[in-house]
Order: sequence, then structure tokens, then C-alpha cells
Amino acid sequence: MSDEESKSESAMDNTEDKPKSDAPTTANGEPLHGVLAEYHTPKELLAAAEKIRDAGYTVWDTYSPFPVHGIEKAQGIPWTILPWLVFGAGCTGLTVGLGMQLWTNGVDYKYLISGKPFFSIAANIPITFEITVLFSALTAFGGMLALNRLPKPSHALDHVERFNRVTDDRFFALIEATDPKFDDTATRTLIAETSPHHVEDVPADTRSENLPKFFTYVAAFLALTALIPLGYAYSVRGTTSTQPRIHIVPDMDFQQKFKPQRGNPFFEDGRAMRPQIEGTVASGDLQDDSHFYRGKVGKAWARTFPSRFTPNEAAMQRGRERYDIFCVPCHSVTGNGSGIVAQHALELAEGTWIPPTNLTLANIKQQPVGELYNTITHGIRNMPAYGSQIDPEDRWAIVLYVRALQRAQAGNVSHVPAAKRAGLK
Amino acid sequence: MANANNTTDDVIVLNEEGAKFGRAMLIAGLVLIAVGVGVGLSFDTRGLKGLLHSYLIAFMYVLSLGLGLLWIVIIQHLSKARWSVVVRRVAEVLAAGLPIVCALGLGIIIPMWLHNADLYIWVDHELVQNDHLLHHKAPYLNVSFFTVRCAVYFAFWGGLSTFFLKTSVRQDETGKAELSGLMHGVSAPAMILFAITLTFASIDFLMSLDPTWFSTMFGVYYFAGCIMSGHALWALSLMWLQSHGHITTSVTAEHYQDIGKMMFGFVVFWAYVGFSQFMLIWYADIPEETHWYHWRFEEPWKQVSIALLIGHFVLPFLGLMSRWVKRKKVSLAFWCIWLLIVQYIDMFWLVYPNGEAADRVPPSALVDLTLAAGMVALFLGSAIRRAAGINLIPTKDPALSDSLAFHNI
Ligand code: HEC
Repeated sequence: MSDEESKSESAMDNTEDKPKSDAPTTANGEPLHGVLAEYHTPKELLAAAEKIRDAGYTVWDTYSPFPVHGIEKAQGIPWTILPWLVFGAGCTGLTVGLGMQLWTNGVDYKYLISGKPFFSIAANIPITFEITVLFSALTAFGGMLALNRLPKPSHALDHVERFNRVTDDRFFALIEATDPKFDDTATRTLIAETSPHHVEDVPADTRSENLPKFFTYVAAFLALTALIPLGYAYSVRGTTSTQPRIHIVPDMDFQQKFKPQRGNPFFEDGRAMRPQIEGTVASGDLQDDSHFYRGKVGKAWARTFPSRFTPNEAAMQRGRERYDIFCVPCHSVTGNGSGIVAQHALELAEGTWIPPTNLTLANIKQQPVGELYNTITHGIRNMPAYGSQIDPEDRWAIVLYVRALQRAQAGNVSHVPAAKRAGLK
Repeated sequence: MANANNTTDDVIVLNEEGAKFGRAMLIAGLVLIAVGVGVGLSFDTRGLKGLLHSYLIAFMYVLSLGLGLLWIVIIQHLSKARWSVVVRRVAEVLAAGLPIVCALGLGIIIPMWLHNADLYIWVDHELVQNDHLLHHKAPYLNVSFFTVRCAVYFAFWGGLSTFFLKTSVRQDETGKAELSGLMHGVSAPAMILFAITLTFASIDFLMSLDPTWFSTMFGVYYFAGCIMSGHALWALSLMWLQSHGHITTSVTAEHYQDIGKMMFGFVVFWAYVGFSQFMLIWYADIPEETHWYHWRFEEPWKQVSIALLIGHFVLPFLGLMSRWVKRKKVSLAFWCIWLLIVQYIDMFWLVYPNGEAADRVPPSALVDLTLAAGMVALFLGSAIRRAAGINLIPTKDPALSDSLAFHNI
């Protein structure tokens, strides 16, 4: 130890021999970054830190392999403002999260999802919560780095051999030469008073503290490249194309199976879809009752209900239920054609909308039941077909109910059974 | 490390004043419960049905305190926590109040044996036979199986809390470090069984009040409240001991801050679980599930629901956030008492608004509070009595010195 001390003393002597200049230098005449003192225990470090703090230094720091309790106090470091930054970021995240959902769901693009309100706090809390956490966490991380001026690609201490042990079992204090109180002799005397085990001059870092230019170029290049897909997506927005779309995530678009309307080399005719074998009928497909299945008697629309269908109270209730499910969205509950889909289409006012027919108009009333049945089965002009969703039995039930709706429109008191008339008033 | 205390100059055995207080609590508890039950049976116009509801709330409330503390003991061993060693004995002692709480559970089970269906409609045999849904649940929801389950819960909780206290005290005497290993080993399976028993107990005692309703998060919801209030009671007990001259130098602001952090965490966790449960039901919007919330969103329960949201989450969340709040005894004590009150309101809110309005009984402040105060006093009295004659600090725990020197960075 004694020789270390003498070494540092001789270092001081040397500086005095040097021609006086304003900027302090090391023993070898290099510009000085600061004076580094080494200690062996956290206790020594704490004591030294208190001394340096009390001497009024501001540009200095301590280094240790693990957090030393009470070092902030010993160094006189003021309480960080990071919590307040995080709190502010959290509040911002909360507002942004809620505001974004208010704007997208409640104002800009209202979309009804399972009958929930457009803007509803309950549905918005998860996203608001996540964004609050995201903003806070990023601020805590980024703020910590920024407040500590990290990362530092290069630092003067990186070149000090002894300093390597700071990640292991040594404790250091460094007073930087840029400190306004720094004085070549006074500072060294102060450090000697803290009884360090070793004192060393740290030459200024000759390498730039900035990131190497290379990193900046690569980052800029990556940032620009990242914009390409975005820019492309933007430029083709709303255009049409005859090319199949690009499958970034193929999901289940391509599967090892034969789909309808595709080729299959296994069969002679090369078609994946097989025609029905001549002279056979698939089970359940023998629809020989033309009246029941197609609403036709001979070549004309049937004017009566088929014999397999009994128009009774139960059928009427069934028809009402099916009508409410399948027809109401367009034709409305009363059949006048102002269902919710029609209303919404009118609101959009795109000019391409053909309104659903008012089912209670005279011309529809005059249509034979078979024709109404056929409309449900195959759809008509702009109305889609419902044959695949609704069983023939239920289609007839709907026809029955449509008839009831038509009658109800032209109804008057005399149609109500005498017993129930009183209840109407 | 830097300023390591030692326990030598600390009072670490309950003094005479403390012991006296324990006895007084025990007697006060018994008297208050007797008064509560007496009033419930005589003057209270709500009759037995009302009394049973009040009793259940008070029971679930003290049970949550006891279970919270038992969990605290288990988790310290499971995680081999060192910061908490010096304050762990107090938690062990409090958790050891569980056996007497379990005995109070008989007040719920005995009426069941007598076919009283005031509290749980599934006890009514005839009703169950005629209700398709209840009929299907009968293999689980029936008096005999309920009794067996309760016996299992009570035996497990009572046994476990006694095991931890006894083993820890044995370490004080023998100084054997292996005992720490034993408790660590037991804590792992104990934690799993604790989770299962607590979940099923909350389903049995609380969720089955409305036997058609179900929520898979219910157990976690009750758990969150238990742990939060367990920490609150833990901190208050330490403060009480310190204000009476015990363990004054060993337990520091550092330990309080950590208890406060856990409490804060579980305030948030309660809100997280409570909201998740609500949101899933709200989104699916299935009548079998929504009615439970509808009952609580109608007047006058709406006010209680809002009060819970604000009192159980918003205010304590903001209030407990700062570091100094958790380090200062006055502010921490304020929030501990606050949270112990909202935990009671939570139980109250879970029990009363079940069934259609016409089938419910109204709360009765007198019976409700007398029973709750009585049970808490009985619980604390029993815990203090178990503390008599033993150290308030696990003096021979190998990690004690770490805990004494513990510092938050
Ligand atoms: C998606 C909306 C939509 C639904 C659902 C719908 N319709 Fe229509 N319907 C229309 C439209 C649009 C027209 C008018 C088509 C046109 O004139 O191009 C129409 C026309 C009709 C007509 C008049 C046909 C004619 O000869 O002019 C009948 C009858 C009818 N619908 C019955 C039904 C019944 C019964 C159902 C329930 C099974 C139903 N529709 C469901 C949209 C709908």
C-alpha cells in the first residue's frame, strides 16, 4: 500500500514540474478526466462519499458492484423525479387509451357489436389499462436511461485496468476534472483524507462519446426500409387488382383437400366435383311432391297450402318465429320493408340500395302462396335465397305468417274476436 | 448491514398488559356474539333468516382475516423470504386464531342439519326435487357433503396454522436450522391445498347463496380480499405491539413499507379480478349469469357497489401509491383500518343482495356489527392468548439477522 501512496505522491510532484496550463492533466501530460479513488468496503465508500459531498463537489460519482444502502444520501443525490414522469405518462396513457376508443368506436366508425353501446367503459377498460401500463413502463425504462445519460458507448473509466474489479469486489469514487470546485492540489488532498487504498488519474477519453456513425446509418436505413411496406400499402389502398392477394399469413387458405369447382387428376374427367350417378337419388333428395317442395301445381304457382302442411296455430307461431329471425332485418316486423338493415342503408345514402318490398302491398297480396314460397327458396332479384337455411316446412309456415301480416294491415275491429275487443281500449 | 440492530435490548415477549388485553378480548368476543345472537333471535324483526345472514357476513369476514394471515405465513416459507422473518411470528400467531374461527363455522352448519333453508335454498329438499337445475347440482350441494367439506377445510386450516406456529416456536427452543427446511418443504403442498380449500370454501359459503349462479373467478375474488385484509391486520397488530413497548427496535419502517407494498398490490389485484369477473359476464350477457350483477346494480345496492369500487380500489390505489405513506405509521394505519372496513363492506355486498328483492332480508346495523365485532374480538383474543409466553420474534431463525438489517433500496 505504501508504494501505491508514494506513486500517487510522485504523480503530484510531476504535475508541478509541468508547464502551467488551465486544463488539468495527468502525470503523462494527457488531458485529465478525473481522479479515481479505490476502497475495499462499502463502509469506506460511504464515509468517503460523505466527505466529498460535504466539500461541495457536484460532478462526481461512486461505483460499486452492488447497490450500497444509503449511498444516495451519502452522495447527496436528490430524490429522482422519475416517479412523477411515470405518473404523468400513466395519466397520458389512460387518456390516450380511452380517447382512442371513444374516437374510433364512438365517433368515427360506429359498429354495433352484440348490442353493446358504441362507447362503453366496461369494454374499454382492458385496452385503457394496457396502454396505461405500456406508457408507464416505457417511460420508466426510457426515463431511467435518459436521466442517467445512458447508454454511454465509451467512457474514460473503460480504459482503467483497476476499475475492472468494480463488478467484483472493489468500490470507487471519481471526481471529474470538469467539476467547478476541482483543483489539482485541493482535490487530491481531499481524496487522500478519505484514506483510499489507491488513487489514480484517469486520462480523458479520446474516443468520441457519440455512437459510431455506422450505427446511425444502419438505423436510418432500417427506419426507411420499414416505411416501404407501409408506403406500398398506402399507395394501393382502395385500388382493385386481378392478382390473387399476397398471403403473408396463409392460415388455412391452402389445404390438402379438393374443393368444389377445382381439378382433381384422379378422375378421368379431371373434376373434383362428382356428378350424380345416373338413375340414382341421394337420400333425402327425392323431392317428388312438387307442391310441397317447389310451390307448383303442374306449371302454375300453387294457390293452396300443400297437403303435407297443416296451417294451424302452432304453424303460425313457428312461422312468426322464423319470420322474426330471417325476414325482419330487411322487411321489418310489420312487413312494410323498413327493417334495421334498410334503415341503415338509407342512412348511408350510397344510392345503390334497392329497398326491400313492402309485403303488404296489393300486388304481393295477390301473389299465390306458391310464388311467395318460391321467393323465400330462391330469392328474387336483389333479395338473396333462403332455401338453404330454412326447411320447406318452415318456409310454408313463414308464408302463412306473411299472409297473416297482410291481413293484419287491412284489419279492422270486426276482425278481432268479440271477447277480446274490450282489451283493445 | 450498515446499521444492523439486534433483538437483545427489545421486549420480545408479550408483557402483562398485552396478556390482560388478550383475555379481555376473548371475553368481550364471547359476550358480543351472545348479545348479537340474542338480539337477532328476540327483538330483531327479521327473525332467524336475518340473524343467519348477519352471522354469515361476520363469519366470512373473520375467516378472510385468518386465511389471509395463514397465506402470509405460507408464502414467506415458500419463497424463503428473509425480509419478513422478524415480523413473521406475529403473522403466525394471528393465523393460529383460525381454529376458533373454524369453530364459529358451526353456526352456519348446525341450522343446515336442522333443515333450515333460510340461508341456502338448496337445503330445501322439496324445492330441489322440483327444480331441474338444482336437482342436477344436488350431488354436490347437499347437507352431508357440505358438512364433510367443511370438516376438511377446518381441519386443514386449523392444523396448518398450528403446525407453523408450533414448529417455528420449537426452533426458538432448539435452534435447529432444519426446522426452516421442514417448514419450507411443507409450504409447497400446503399452498396448493390452501388454494383449493379456499376456492371451494368461498363457493360453498358464498356462491351457493344463489345456487344457480356461477363464476369461475369467484374463489380468486374472495382470495384477493383475504390477502389484502390479512396484510392490513398484520401491520396494525405490529403497530399495536410496538405502541405497547414490544419489538420497538427490531421492526422498522422498512418492514412496514413491504407489508404496505403487498397490501397495495392486493388492492389492485382485487380490482383486477373483480373487474375481470364483471367484464366476462357483461360481455357474454347471458341471463343465467347477469342477474347476480343486476341485483347489485339496482337501488339501493347500486350505492354500495359504487362505494366498493371507489373505496376498495380508487382511493386506496391513489392513497397507498407513495413510498412515504407506507413508511409512516400514521398513514399506513389509516389505510389498514380503511381496508379492513371495505373488506367488511365487500362481504356484506356478497351476502345480502341474493335472490329476488321479495325474498331478501334487509341488513340490521345492530346485529351485523355486534356479531362482526364479537367475532373479530374472539379471533384476536384467541390469537393473543396463543402469543402468551412465546417470543414475538423467531429468535433462532437462520435469516433473522438479514431481516433485522433489511433495507428497501
Ligand atoms: C337481406 C334483406 C332481405 C331479407 C332478409 C329478406 N328479404 Fe325479401 N326482399 C328483399 C329485397 C331487397 C326485395 C326487393 C328485391 C328487388 O325488388 O330487387 C325483397 C322482396 C321480397 C318479396 C317480393 C317479391 C316480389 O315478387 O316482388 C317478398 C315476397 C319477400 N321479399 C319475402 C321475404 C321473406 C318471406 C323473407 C324471409 C324469409 C325475406 N323476404 C327476407 C330483401 C330481403
